Amino acid sequence: MASKRLFDRIDSIQLRGVTKKYDDRFAINDVSIDIEGGELVIFIGPSGSGKTTTLRMINRLIEPDSGTILINDQNIMELEPVALRRNIGYVIQSIGLFPHMTIAENIGLVAKLEGWNEKKIKDRVEYLLDFVSLPSDMFMDRYPHQLSGGQQQRVGLARALVMDPPLLLMDEPFGALDPILRKQLQEEFYQIREKLGKTIIFVTHDIEEAFKLGDRIAIMDDAKLVQIGTAEELIFHPANEMVASIVDTSKKFKHLDTLKIKDLISPLECMYVHDGSLDIESAISSMIGKNIEIAVVSNGSFPLGIVKLIDLLRMDDKESKIIDHVVKIPSFSRNKLLSSSLKIMQKDGHSMAFVMTDGKLSGFLFPNDAFSQVIG
Amino acid sequence: MDKEHKGVDSLLLSDLVEVWETNSLTLRTIEHLTMFSIAIVLASIIGIFLGLFLYSRPKIAHPTLNLLNLVETIPDIPLLVLLLPIFGLGSGPTIVASVLYSLLPITRNTYTGLKEVDLKYVDIARAMGLSEKDILFKVRIPLSLPMIVGGLRIALVFTMGVVTLGGLIAAGGLGAALIAGIQLYKINTILVAGLWTGLLAVIFDGLAGIVEKRLQRRYGIW
Ligand SMILES: Nc1ncnc2c1ncn2[C@@H]1O[C@H](COP(=O)(O)OP(=O)(O)OP(=O)(O)O)[C@@H](O)[C@H]1O
Ligand SMILES: [Mg+2]
Repeated sequence: MASKRLFDRIDSIQLRGVTKKYDDRFAINDVSIDIEGGELVIFIGPSGSGKTTTLRMINRLIEPDSGTILINDQNIMELEPVALRRNIGYVIQSIGLFPHMTIAENIGLVAKLEGWNEKKIKDRVEYLLDFVSLPSDMFMDRYPHQLSGGQQQRVGLARALVMDPPLLLMDEPFGALDPILRKQLQEEFYQIREKLGKTIIFVTHDIEEAFKLGDRIAIMDDAKLVQIGTAEELIFHPANEMVASIVDTSKKFKHLDTLKIKDLISPLECMYVHDGSLDIESAISSMIGKNIEIAVVSNGSFPLGIVKLIDLLRMDDKESKIIDHVVKIPSFSRNKLLSSSLKIMQKDGHSMAFVMTDGKLSGFLFPNDAFSQVIG
Repeated sequence: MDKEHKGVDSLLLSDLVEVWETNSLTLRTIEHLTMFSIAIVLASIIGIFLGLFLYSRPKIAHPTLNLLNLVETIPDIPLLVLLLPIFGLGSGPTIVASVLYSLLPITRNTYTGLKEVDLKYVDIARAMGLSEKDILFKVRIPLSLPMIVGGLRIALVFTMGVVTLGGLIAAGGLGAALIAGIQLYKINTILVAGLWTGLLAVIFDGLAGIVEKRLQRRYGIW
């Protein structure tokens, strides 16, 4: 049955003195926040500080003991929970695609319950799969266990978008992915965010992710909201020591000048290497089989560059060789200074580089990753 | 050599045909499978509904399952005898006894399957805006199917056994042929009827096993 469209856009979300206790312990304690429509607010803080609890109150998965939550000045406790949730997308770290439904059924489930006709559901599913860079003809009829972790997370996002909700709640959506994949999905999410034009509340543990994606960052500690502000506000005017230590990167960067690439190398696993003479079709099945989204293209022993799975999936001519589609990336010797390498990469807009040891490929350098290792 | 082989083969085959015909095994098989199917369909319907009911009334779940467990511990021949005064002789008590035995595995597996669905699926379903009814029908029941089929598989084996025993109380079926063979001490009859009954049991169990595997595979539970 079709439920009411509660809001076409978000003008404001307000939490007023929201408190929740489990037994005698506060999960969140007197939290008040104003969020504007269209904002992307990031919640960050130590484990158990109340981030997930705060998020789950907004779609009434958890109800507060006291305090009120208003969306567009409407008290959400006066709204029907099922209708409210169909107006709010929800993405979680463990994804939770239903294993007994195909990808298309997973994405289209709520639309079906809303009484959409088959054609409209199919069109919407195709549009959304395309939006998250998965070719719909290849993925619609698969079951979740046939997808890699990164692909599942893309489907999770598509499923949350099916009713075109104006508000998205995302709880560590990239938290379970390996670092290479996480960087790639962050990058893609950053790019589609504009197109989405939605209000987003996003929980993370990764301060780099927070700086990269967030308009404002809310810092939680011990069930309290400690401070909320832009990255600059938090860095230059931290409310206390704890905020300073989360956001203060400067003093940890002191040694950056002396670091060499070898200190921050991400080692190469041989499963990433694919021979340039491979055709696209076989490369795709190899990469899906190995659960990787980036492959190193080599000719014999020498690395030529990389190819990305999503790019390969989009190619029309599946018979052509991957060597013809290589994206060149810089390569550095492991003894080179990190700072100068990063400068070169930044200048040319590269997000990864090869690291060579004695003229042989031995690993990767990810500036973002290097960054978070330095500060972490 | 060749001739001799053919001789043995045709001898065996003609024996088989003779045993089959004198004991009207085609008719017996039809009787057998009729009782078997009625018992299984009844047990599935009652068992699945009872499982659903217990799931919605967790307080009475344990006492009910304990009671079914008790029924399960009564040996089959005494159970048939106990049912005689109520249902008389024939296929009636045989079907009732089969259903009573099959109820426990089907009900228990349905109830446990529903209860033990991974909560992360229930949670995300609720977050997506599924009502409690939708969660039951779109998530909990489908995710319990492999477990329910597992219970059904156990019930198939029980029922095959009880229906065969029905021969003792004039229910007909392959059990009747077996008993006739035992009473008249006809080894061939015992062998043919016995092996055929066993083969049927193996086939049904195999088919249910395939369905179970398929479900598990589709759901990614290896
Ligand atoms: N259902 C529950 N029952 C009892 N305590 C709970 C429950 N849910 C959360 N808590 C407690 O509330 C506090 C806040 O939990 P919450 O999940 O919001 O933390 P979080 O900031 O999301 O942590 P993490 O970063 O580990 O995900 C924790 O101390 C947690 O143990
Ligand atoms: Mg959490």
